[in-house]
Amino acid sequence: MTTATAENQATAEPVSTKETGGTASHQVDGELLQLVTFMVGSEEFAIPILSVQEINRMMQITRVPQSPPFIEGVINLRGKIIPVMDLRKRFNVEVAEDSSDCRIIVVEVANRVIGFTVDRVNEVLRIDAGIVEPPPSMVSGIDSDYVQGVGKLDDRLLILLNLNRLFSNEDLESVDQASSAASV
Amino acid sequence: MDIEGLDPSLLQDFLTESGELIEKLDADLVTLESLDEGSEQKDLLDGIFRALHTIKGAASFLGLTVLTTFAHAAEDALNRLRKGEIKVTPEVMDAMLRSVDVLRVMMEQIAAGEDITPAPEDLINQLHALVGGDPAEGAASPDQAPSVTPQASPTVVGGTPLDLPPEKIDLVEFMVIDLQEAIGQIDQCLAQARTAVDTSDAAHDLAELGDSIFKTSEFFKLDALSLMAKLLMSVGAKLDQVPEAQLGELFVRVGAIKVLVERQADALNQKMALSWPVETLQQRIETLIGGQELPDDVTGQHGDDPLKVLELDGVIEPGSESSGEAEAQADASQAQKDTAPGQQTPADAARDATKKSKGDAPTARASLGEQTIRVEVSRLESLMNLVGRLVLNKNRILSLARRITEYDISHEAKEQFTIASSALDQLTSELQMGVMRTRMQPLAKLFDRYPRVIRDIARATGKKIDLEITGKETEVDKSVLEVLADPLVHILRNSADHGIELPQTRIGTSKKETGTIHLTAEHQGSHVRVEIADDGKGLDRDVLGKKAIERGMVTPDQLAALGDEEVFRFIFAAGFSTAEKVSDLSGRGVGMDVVRTNIAKINGAINISAVKGKGTTIEILIPLTVAIMPAMMVGVGQHLYAIPLTTIIEIVRPEDRMVHSVGGQPVMRLRNSVLPLLDMREKLQETGEKPRSKFAVIVGVGQQRAGLVVERLIGQQEIVIKPLDDRYTSGGPFSGATIREDGDVSLILDVIQLIRQAQQTERAAA
Repeated sequence: MTTATAENQATAEPVSTKETGGTASHQVDGELLQLVTFMVGSEEFAIPILSVQEINRMMQITRVPQSPPFIEGVINLRGKIIPVMDLRKRFNVEVAEDSSDCRIIVVEVANRVIGFTVDRVNEVLRIDAGIVEPPPSMVSGIDSDYVQGVGKLDDRLLILLNLNRLFSNEDLESVDQASSAASV
Repeated sequence: MDIEGLDPSLLQDFLTESGELIEKLDADLVTLESLDEGSEQKDLLDGIFRALHTIKGAASFLGLTVLTTFAHAAEDALNRLRKGEIKVTPEVMDAMLRSVDVLRVMMEQIAAGEDITPAPEDLINQLHALVGGDPAEGAASPDQAPSVTPQASPTVVGGTPLDLPPEKIDLVEFMVIDLQEAIGQIDQCLAQARTAVDTSDAAHDLAELGDSIFKTSEFFKLDALSLMAKLLMSVGAKLDQVPEAQLGELFVRVGAIKVLVERQADALNQKMALSWPVETLQQRIETLIGGQELPDDVTGQHGDDPLKVLELDGVIEPGSESSGEAEAQADASQAQKDTAPGQQTPADAARDATKKSKGDAPTARASLGEQTIRVEVSRLESLMNLVGRLVLNKNRILSLARRITEYDISHEAKEQFTIASSALDQLTSELQMGVMRTRMQPLAKLFDRYPRVIRDIARATGKKIDLEITGKETEVDKSVLEVLADPLVHILRNSADHGIELPQTRIGTSKKETGTIHLTAEHQGSHVRVEIADDGKGLDRDVLGKKAIERGMVTPDQLAALGDEEVFRFIFAAGFSTAEKVSDLSGRGVGMDVVRTNIAKINGAINISAVKGKGTTIEILIPLTVAIMPAMMVGVGQHLYAIPLTTIIEIVRPEDRMVHSVGGQPVMRLRNSVLPLLDMREKLQETGEKPRSKFAVIVGVGQQRAGLVVERLIGQQEIVIKPLDDRYTSGGPFSGATIREDGDVSLILDVIQLIRQAQQTERAAA
């Protein structure tokens, strides 16, 4: 498998895909899931490609005081201001120094446009929906609520994220408490 | 016809236009009540009647039967008013105003795609009672006048029956109205073209008329009329190229076309189509437009009589009609108009409406279609967004221009670049103003609703209240207008319900029996100032203070230290009401809270002053626009923040001796006042070494002040406000974000929120 990442500056390019089928890119193509995979810490995560708006190189992130601790700040996405979440902080993964492999993945979830930082974007791939198994109760420190399932590939494991839950309301309530506690 | 089969844009037009008419009906009806009997009242009644009739006509055109039937009932009642058969009394007006409300609800239902709820039975009965079933019945449905007054239109000879499907036949009535209107307008155009130095308006109107006649005639497949309409269009298009010598011949032929249109209109009433041999007429008009002269034996033979022209040009048989007969016909159609002014058509009524609202400028005649166009708001919004981005880029270029001296390029190139960038600066500013102006709307859009609000309160409470409005032509950004709508209603309701006393109380305190509320708007720099002043009982510091203590908002000691205005401001707290009983109108303590939040949302300020027993004055200051504003960029720690310039009063360097601490809260003595100081470093959770230099940016909203301690002053800048509304980022003291010259994001400090926090800490500290 080749690594396909978007190399760009201001505007995002579509992530180039390496696939076997060659049919139109649908999330579910019969039994196929089309996913973008990326690394956070030592784990490999995957999200449906259709939820991805674009993938950007790291850019200047403006800190927003009194926001939740896992929010890195906001970025200027071609004139629109969107929040950026630090997935490493969110998943309690040790925060590594930003390297040149770091990317901001911009997704649209429930009409919100949110970016999140990852250590590296790996590839776009299609997997058979059949190989996805329900999540075990705990996946290396990540609350299983955020995990849709686990994809077992020949040589590795993919953690399929549930973006809706990742950016959901409930988590915000606890966040609110955390941030208000932080701001006092 | 059912609503689903309709062209949505037709429906939308109907909703927009009729919506405007309804707003106006409301205002006019209230004005009507205050007028004495006489010609002014009569004129207004005629206007109201036309507006209602227009709505009815358009509704029946769209097959909205429920609405049409109801509008008809209301129209009947109004007709009796017009004829003076019943008098304008509060009861009658109640029924009429309620009818307008019902119409408004019906429109909302149409807009929402719901079924229309029929009007309430009792209202219909009330309207019928007003009509009273006596002879007025006959005249009650003037819209049928064209078809039921055959004596007014001479029998048509030589026509062929219209061959049309039934659904088109139904529309004939409307077409006749259209045509009759067009006929009147042709006359006006001609008169204008003959007298005016600049004929371009008249020419334009003629072309438009031609176009509208053309559309209707195509719809009914009236070939001869289509041809005439096309001719009118070409006359309009080329009028300015016609040599003056040919104008007389041309105009009389336009008059001839008018006669033909008139005849077709009459024929249509009897469902007949007419056709004429118009080739010669067409040819001669084309010759004239082309700037050529007509042959001598044609010119000057007609004595300016259109009928003669028609004979000359072979359209009608010579001698078949005398001019006298034509005159009689004209008289008849004039008479017909007089007996049924209700036939005024949509455009007419709308024009009347614009005329009145524009203060009756003489040029208003050439109006509407030509001078204004409707544009979807979303298009303006996207234009506004683009301008916003342009401003950002301009700022970038300007910052490059400032730094260009650092680069190693020729002096000449630097100068050229500076010149170009300052030209860009100016153009962008002008463009920005231009685009912003497209979004400006007069406050009249809001203010015109209020007489009704006040009238209803006065009726319900038995008070006598005059609402005096000044400056309603003041324009503000559409978004500001929207935000302002609710607060103003709440304040006015409060004034009318709580402020103004009952007539007997007022007489007892030697005031005029009738209370007055002044609603004033005016521009003040980059702000608009709206003032609501009543001569009611004013605010009572003691009552408000007592209530505030009861609610635990202040301690008696704190209260004693507060200024009057600060005590009055308690009325803006949520749930704060001193009204002993809650009424339909106000007293729930919600309204004024809405006022405060809405005004704060658009960076506005409210001041309040009152004299017990004399009245209350509330002053609202709002920025003209909310999308782009000047700001001061300041540095705190590693970051830059924007502070809206309109909130900044001054910037000082606080010296140690000016800064004190009151119960742990730092305050600053500035001249004669003491201000709470907010350390922005702390507020914005900046870490790192504290710099030695400090500035206190003194900000104020209304009468409240605070000092924001920052480290660096970067400079003043036009910033474009971007929402920061994602729930992850909306928790801090920020009203939005903006994009800097270098493309990075800076947050805009929410001064109102910061001041409030400062005061809370101060209160807690005290």
